[in-house]
Amino acid sequence: MTRRLVISLVGLLVVVLGSFAGNLVADNTPALGLDLQGGISVTQEPVGEYDSVSLDLAVERIRDRVDSLGVAEPEIIRQGDAIVVNLPGVDNQDEALRLVQVTGAVLLRPVLLAAPNTPADTSSTTVADGSSTTLANTASTTTTDGSSTTSPVTTLATSTTAPGGPSRYPSQAVTSVPTESSTTVAFSDVSTLATSITEAPLGAGSPTGSDVSTSSLAPATMGDPADPIATIIVQNTDGSEIYQLGPSFATGEVFNNDAKADIISGGWGVRVTLKGGSTGADLWNVGAAQCFARSTVCPTGRMAIVLDGVVQSAPNVNQPSFSGGVDITGSFKESEAKDLARVLKSGALPVRLEVQAVQIVSPTLGDDSLHAAIVSGLIGVLLVLLFMLVYYRLLAIVVVIGITLSGLVQWNVISLLSTTNGLALSLAGIAGIIVSIGVTVDSYVVFFEKLKDELKSGRTLKNSAERGFKSAWRTILAADIVSLIGAFTLWYLTVGSVRGFAFFLGLSTLCDIIIAWFFTRPAMLLLARTKRFQRGRIFGIDNTVNATGGTA
Amino acid sequence: MSNELVTSRRGILGRLYHGETSFDFVGKRKIGFAISLILIVLTLGSLFTRGLNLGIDFEGGVAWQVPSSQTMDVDAARAVLEDNGVPTENAKVQTLTNGSTSSIRIQVGDQTPEVRAKVQSELAAMANVDINEVSVSSVSSSWGRSITEKAVRALIAFMVLVGIYIAWRFEWRMALAAILAMLHDVLISVGVYSIIGFEVTPATVVAFLTILGFSLYDTIVVFDKVKDNIDKFGVSRTSMADITNVSMNQVLMRSLNTSLAAVLPVLSLLVLGSGVFGAIALREFAIALLVGLITGSYSSIYIASPLLSIFKQRETRYKNLKGVHATGVELAHMVITGGATGAKSIRRQTSDSDESTQTNQASPTSTALLTHPPRPRKKRRR
Repeated sequence: MTRRLVISLVGLLVVVLGSFAGNLVADNTPALGLDLQGGISVTQEPVGEYDSVSLDLAVERIRDRVDSLGVAEPEIIRQGDAIVVNLPGVDNQDEALRLVQVTGAVLLRPVLLAAPNTPADTSSTTVADGSSTTLANTASTTTTDGSSTTSPVTTLATSTTAPGGPSRYPSQAVTSVPTESSTTVAFSDVSTLATSITEAPLGAGSPTGSDVSTSSLAPATMGDPADPIATIIVQNTDGSEIYQLGPSFATGEVFNNDAKADIISGGWGVRVTLKGGSTGADLWNVGAAQCFARSTVCPTGRMAIVLDGVVQSAPNVNQPSFSGGVDITGSFKESEAKDLARVLKSGALPVRLEVQAVQIVSPTLGDDSLHAAIVSGLIGVLLVLLFMLVYYRLLAIVVVIGITLSGLVQWNVISLLSTTNGLALSLAGIAGIIVSIGVTVDSYVVFFEKLKDELKSGRTLKNSAERGFKSAWRTILAADIVSLIGAFTLWYLTVGSVRGFAFFLGLSTLCDIIIAWFFTRPAMLLLARTKRFQRGRIFGIDNTVNATGGTA
Repeated sequence: MSNELVTSRRGILGRLYHGETSFDFVGKRKIGFAISLILIVLTLGSLFTRGLNLGIDFEGGVAWQVPSSQTMDVDAARAVLEDNGVPTENAKVQTLTNGSTSSIRIQVGDQTPEVRAKVQSELAAMANVDINEVSVSSVSSSWGRSITEKAVRALIAFMVLVGIYIAWRFEWRMALAAILAMLHDVLISVGVYSIIGFEVTPATVVAFLTILGFSLYDTIVVFDKVKDNIDKFGVSRTSMADITNVSMNQVLMRSLNTSLAAVLPVLSLLVLGSGVFGAIALREFAIALLVGLITGSYSSIYIASPLLSIFKQRETRYKNLKGVHATGVELAHMVITGGATGAKSIRRQTSDSDESTQTNQASPTSTALLTHPPRPRKKRRR
């Protein structure tokens, strides 16, 4: 029995102190929520029709974009359907809003020119950085040339074909699915639609697009990638190639929601079917015909599939008209093909995210709150410990060590989750922890009061400690389970700060249970056996009298 | 040390410390119920007439917070709003003072992002501070509604789950009493917010939820004792009122201690955190918590337990003992001995003995009244 208690006590100490040291060595510290260090929080929710794949993809896209911004410890949380993006330390709200507003909308744009990215830029994955450094020149060339895109196209057209080696894209091709091709129908489609080209946003968009691009030659990007009629400069997913893209002639909605990666003629590719009629195949074929013919609208003959301002793939168009299905082939790896299929799928039914809440906390305000919470929290703990010391005298040592251990366990868990799961300590969380001190102390109070009862009924200290703990444990467990049920329900069903609070409440309740069993129990039972405690008067009850046989 | 007259010699604090009080909680339950009834009526009245001062997180809207200065005051803030075509009739503009600094908080209904950004920059210019010093939060009204709905749904789920748990772990009567007491706490806390007109923020909701947890926690500790005592007094004909009273007196010190231990950090948050250091976010939280902790502790003693005793009295086992309950010395006796044997003998004696014997008999000491002596120590091997 004694050995078990010692093992439990030593085991807990080793685990707690060991993981504490481990966290210190790994330099894991709790990340602070933006209400404590200032920053921007944006909550978005999808509206209208969408499927969960597109929502997942949207979250990933946001994460990519936020990561590329280099925000320290961004927090991107799915709460039900809502997406909460917390950007601590960011203070430019326009930039933040632009960053998180992904649409999942896939635009099909003709490639005006393409060039391999310089190695320096390849290392930087930031979209904004890349376009500002390398493409500023290209963009200004366009400006000086006015709206005429021919001269840069011809100059850079060579560079498109020349660097074919390093880039895998020129080797990609779009071909029609052979089984479903019907040339006559396709031709008639093209001819009927040829007239509508002029009316389509494409025809009208060309000049407008270059207007937009010239007028908005901001240092960062030219043209807003989300604007379908703008001429834009963007990179591909790994930043290896950079493109100037014309106004889009269609969105990903021309495809059915059935894109899938498949092995097509010996290599990985993506096969997708077109929707029929004027919203599907017709639109697609207009663009395909232009690219196949290498008209001024699409001089490179390549069609870029763009998701949220990043080129996912820019295959060559190998035939003027498609019907039924489209195959995208090239030197894809399996994972790349799957990614592209997912993008096309999401583009077929894009998710429209609407900003529901924006919160901007100034750094000074956050700083003040943190300082206040920590200092007042610590003073609160000290007051409680002082009260325990006055009330339970020597036994308060057990409480002090217990609370310290509980604090360490929480620090460990929060630090670890901060690093691995992007958990951030919010003000509500700190408040939850401070409140839980009351509950933690209560376990001791329950135990000590039961111990007192047992002592009063004349039992020896050793016996009382065992019996007292047994009944106190039942009470503590019952009460803590209620707290856990509460914490879990709240965590599962709510959003925002309530959810954060619930997490920390649950965590501290679990700590309470663990500490009560692995620390308080062995510590008290062992203490109760020592001569020193048995001789002394604890709780102001003269247990020596009772212990020696109950004579008054 | 002589233990003979311990009880009578001890002051009230001493008796509290030793768990030897003999307050007649059940007998005085009407006082507690009356107080709560008055509070609940006040709450409902205020809720229907004044309603709750809901923050933008629940109703949707935009809030700016800007450090105040000589050029930046409430009037200046209103002027900025008017310049941008934001209606000012429903705008809430208030000065928040904390310690040495003060700031102005402006809340209006839903605005477009452009207006939001423009007002932010103009406020910054007016106050002559960097734009980043101006905090902004904006919530669309649909989002606000869905947050409220989710919170209510969570609350209902929470009550159902906890009710099931208590019913399984203890019994359904306890579940009912505990949940009624919990509702009582929330209602009164909400009432305080409605009457004083504090703004309800997400922090407040968090605090209310904490109160629920705490109130339940406290109630369960008391009920655990009641359950213990029901088992202990099981064979004797002891009324439920007695059992409740005994349990209450036995856990009174624990309840007070726990409440104090929980209130101390919250007081520290309130007085130091928001008072001295001026963190407004902490104040909202701390006030709600303080109100809740106090009602929580109060309700587990004055509402939950008397309710339980009323529910339990309907059981056949306790039915014919209804209305009978020990008070004063008898109760003290039962509290200290924790058994019923002594109680009966005392009851008999008090009925037919004179004053002097009663006091003589009624100085129970722990050793003299040891109803079942501890078993001789056995070597236990585990």
